[in-house]
Amino acid sequence: MNETSLLFNYLSVGAILFALGLVGFLVRRNMILMFLCAEMMLQGVSVSLIGWGRYHADWGGQMLVIFMITVAACEAGIGLALILMLAQRTGKLDSTVWQDLREEGLPAYVDREVPEERAEEQVWPTLTPAGRRPEIDLEELSHRSRV
Amino acid sequence: MDNSRFIDFALPLIPALPLAAAILTALVGPWVARLGARWQALLATPVIAALAASCLLSLQLVYKVDFEQRDLAAGTASEIHTGYERVVTLWTWADVSSAYELKDPVKQDQTDLDVKRLPGKVYPLDFDLGLKDLQIAVALRADALTAMMLGMVTFVSTLVAIFAAGYMAGDRGYWRFFAYIGLFVFSMTMLVSVSNFVLLYVFWEAVGVCSYLLIGFWYEKPAAAAAGMKAFLVNRVGDFGFAIALFLIWTTYGSLNFHDTLANGSTDQEAIEQVVAARQSDADAAPGNSGVVRGVLGKSRLVRNDYVAGPIAVWICLLLLLGACGKSAQFPLHVWLPDAMEGPTPVSALIHAATMVTAGVYMVARCSPLFAAAPEAQLMVAVIGAFTALLAGLIALTQYDLKRVLAYSTVSQLGYMFLALGTGLFAGVTGGMFHLFTHAFFKALLFLGAGSVMHAMGGVIDMRRFGGLRRLMPYTYATFLIGCLALSGIFPLAGFWSKDSILGAVHDKVHQLDHVIEGRHDPHIGEHRESAALVQSFASLTEGQLTAYRGIYQILYYSALFTAFLTAFYAFRAFCLTFHGEEQIPDEAGHHAHESPPVMVVPLAILAVCAAAAGIWAMGSENFAGGIRHWGENNFSDFLSHTPSLAAGGLANTIPATHEFHLSVAGLSTLVALAGMGLALYLYMGERSEVSLLERLFKLEGAQKLADPQWIAQLERVGWIGVVTRTLRGAGLGFLVTLVGLILGVVSLILALPLLLLSYITPHKLSANKFYFDEIYDVLFVTPLRWLSLFFYWIDRWLVDGLVNFTASVPPAIGSLMRGLQGGLVQFYAVAMVLGVLILIAARLLLAAG
Repeated sequence: MNETSLLFNYLSVGAILFALGLVGFLVRRNMILMFLCAEMMLQGVSVSLIGWGRYHADWGGQMLVIFMITVAACEAGIGLALILMLAQRTGKLDSTVWQDLREEGLPAYVDREVPEERAEEQVWPTLTPAGRRPEIDLEELSHRSRV
Repeated sequence: MDNSRFIDFALPLIPALPLAAAILTALVGPWVARLGARWQALLATPVIAALAASCLLSLQLVYKVDFEQRDLAAGTASEIHTGYERVVTLWTWADVSSAYELKDPVKQDQTDLDVKRLPGKVYPLDFDLGLKDLQIAVALRADALTAMMLGMVTFVSTLVAIFAAGYMAGDRGYWRFFAYIGLFVFSMTMLVSVSNFVLLYVFWEAVGVCSYLLIGFWYEKPAAAAAGMKAFLVNRVGDFGFAIALFLIWTTYGSLNFHDTLANGSTDQEAIEQVVAARQSDADAAPGNSGVVRGVLGKSRLVRNDYVAGPIAVWICLLLLLGACGKSAQFPLHVWLPDAMEGPTPVSALIHAATMVTAGVYMVARCSPLFAAAPEAQLMVAVIGAFTALLAGLIALTQYDLKRVLAYSTVSQLGYMFLALGTGLFAGVTGGMFHLFTHAFFKALLFLGAGSVMHAMGGVIDMRRFGGLRRLMPYTYATFLIGCLALSGIFPLAGFWSKDSILGAVHDKVHQLDHVIEGRHDPHIGEHRESAALVQSFASLTEGQLTAYRGIYQILYYSALFTAFLTAFYAFRAFCLTFHGEEQIPDEAGHHAHESPPVMVVPLAILAVCAAAAGIWAMGSENFAGGIRHWGENNFSDFLSHTPSLAAGGLANTIPATHEFHLSVAGLSTLVALAGMGLALYLYMGERSEVSLLERLFKLEGAQKLADPQWIAQLERVGWIGVVTRTLRGAGLGFLVTLVGLILGVVSLILALPLLLLSYITPHKLSANKFYFDEIYDVLFVTPLRWLSLFFYWIDRWLVDGLVNFTASVPPAIGSLMRGLQGGLVQFYAVAMVLGVLILIAARLLLAAG
């Protein structure tokens, strides 16, 4: 395997990691997941840096990566602590709960309410009863919730 | 301690002590005032103690200066007497002379302040020689004029401060008052002792600020606040003139120092004389330049009388006069002084007697060599002085506010001083300063007496509401009487001597001009050196001008005499209204109207003694032994004659060889004063019927009757007219009566208009309304200025501010376009970032492809 194809592999893995992280960051609202996605993007960049370092036979790439890992560790500490504090405030990990830094006068983003399905409206398919009526333990019914 | 060292030591200390006391009072005042009324009285002590110490130092300074200058005069055998001055340089405040030297292309040698002249260029004055000095040294000077002013200012201020300690007792701003007083005296003592025009201007302004603070002392009272503002603004007009005069002096004479300095900043008189003398003998090498920065009023300039004549000199003097008019309340700018009565009475006494208003007189006297070079300006000084004296005297006749009468009296007396200064004679300048000196005593006395009355009357000062206080307030009565006598100029009180010396000086001036006119036609004039010099000094005037001048001074003399009559009249009118007649006490005084406490009466008594004796003392008591011929030997003017500005220069040749006492002038003025006094006593002493007759006369009641149609209709009821008309009607000639009635009606209608107008400007109304000066100024200056400022306000508000606001509103407008993007959702920002990166990448790729 020559150096160019090796570099290509490295870069492919890095790009995939980065893209996954990016998409995850944009679409997920769970702050921990967003954080993990951000970490993933970092790893993608790290991989491609290592690939370039090897391609150029230069320690610079690896040096940068070690530096990045250190920074990412610090960032993880601070980020997780922040997320913890935010979660304790509201009991939620949803990032849209925190949108107070918007321009004055703009309406807040609100999730569209998904109408809750009510039990009465539920129409279950009915089958013609056949055979013997099964024994239902009333005692057990009172303990179990509806499945 | 020898005299020179004492002077060096005392001169800075005299202003420093009041300043230190003022600062101390201002620092501890608010704390002590909170401790209660009993402690508050302590707050007056630092300032009073400092003023008393300054006063003692000043009196000692007068003595030392007197000794020194006698010593000097005895020591110099030379014919030219240059006077005595001692300059103490504390530090240099600003020095830009070096900048000028470097820039000057004429300058050849940087180490020596020697300047070579360019060939073919005319150098009329020092200022073309490259030595244009703007070195403002904080230099104090001791000479006779300064010493006399210092002694007078600190003495009167001390007494006023002691009086105020009683008068202001219980006032909320007690400490503030004394802090201001200390500051005021500091400014005034600095004003009279600095030796530089810039510093003179600085303390000129400082005095203005202090007067503003003190006139508006009760700032919660709108009238007081307005009066303070008015004083400040009117003074600003004068100060503007003064500032321009300083610029002109600097461009003309190249320096703003009074004294000469060597190039290295030394003021040693002997060294300067040596350098000047050396340069004089070596005139061709560096003509005109002496390595000495020649002060405007320096000896080296004075001795050679090296002053510019012509229009520039006239302008300098007129602008200086404008400044002096503002400070000393002379005619165009006199309106602030009567309003300044809104301040506490001790402040009025201080402003009118010792500080502030005397500054203008002092300045003109100090600059008298400049004025001597401009006879036109001198005449202007005299005319303004005499006119103001007359005007203020007329206004004072009808005022009912006791303090206001005294205020106009001050304006009038200051006019006298300006008249004396305007004669341009040595006798005139010393006479003016002499009047300043005696006036300080009796005017302070009168004001403090008025304060004492006001104190007892519960703040009422309207003379119609009280009267006959002579039994209630015996000490105030006696001292006020002495003050009035002194003001009127009754022999042998202080006012008599000083007023006489002024009238004598004006009289002399007429004679001097006669002499000059004669001298011009005298072919042998050259044989008499002094007369020739005198004639030479008026060479710039044509004979017609000289005759006109003589006529004007003659008129001024009679106008001054008439003013003396008015002075005596209004002084005794106020005196009688206050202290004689039926005893009458306003309700505000309550039942405790009483003589003032000793702390107020003692200063009154001291001032009364001074007002009575200052004149005799200054004239020299030993001269009385010699009989009437020696009365003119005036110690006061002998003392002042050693001032450099008076001893040398333009005034020097007017120093009379022999003193003459003008018995005719003195007798005439005394007669006139006695007449005024007698008339006032006759009119106001007992019944007031004569007054109302006089009032009706000056209200022109008869003239107004003519304009009244009712009066014509009533004519028929008069006996003989009725008989005539009835007879005519009986004879069938009724139409004749109607015709005459119609004619009379038409005539009265025609007459009505001017008469109606006349009824508004009767002499009485003119006087009572202060010749409508406030109203005229209001229409001529205040209202147009208000409209103008309103106009500029709108321009500022809408044009200038509008432009700024428009510029400021553009960025927010642009920003508001982007405002919707700031949604606060993290994901949205992330998307925006990604899109941005994508756009960048796309652009890069496209560019690379292109």
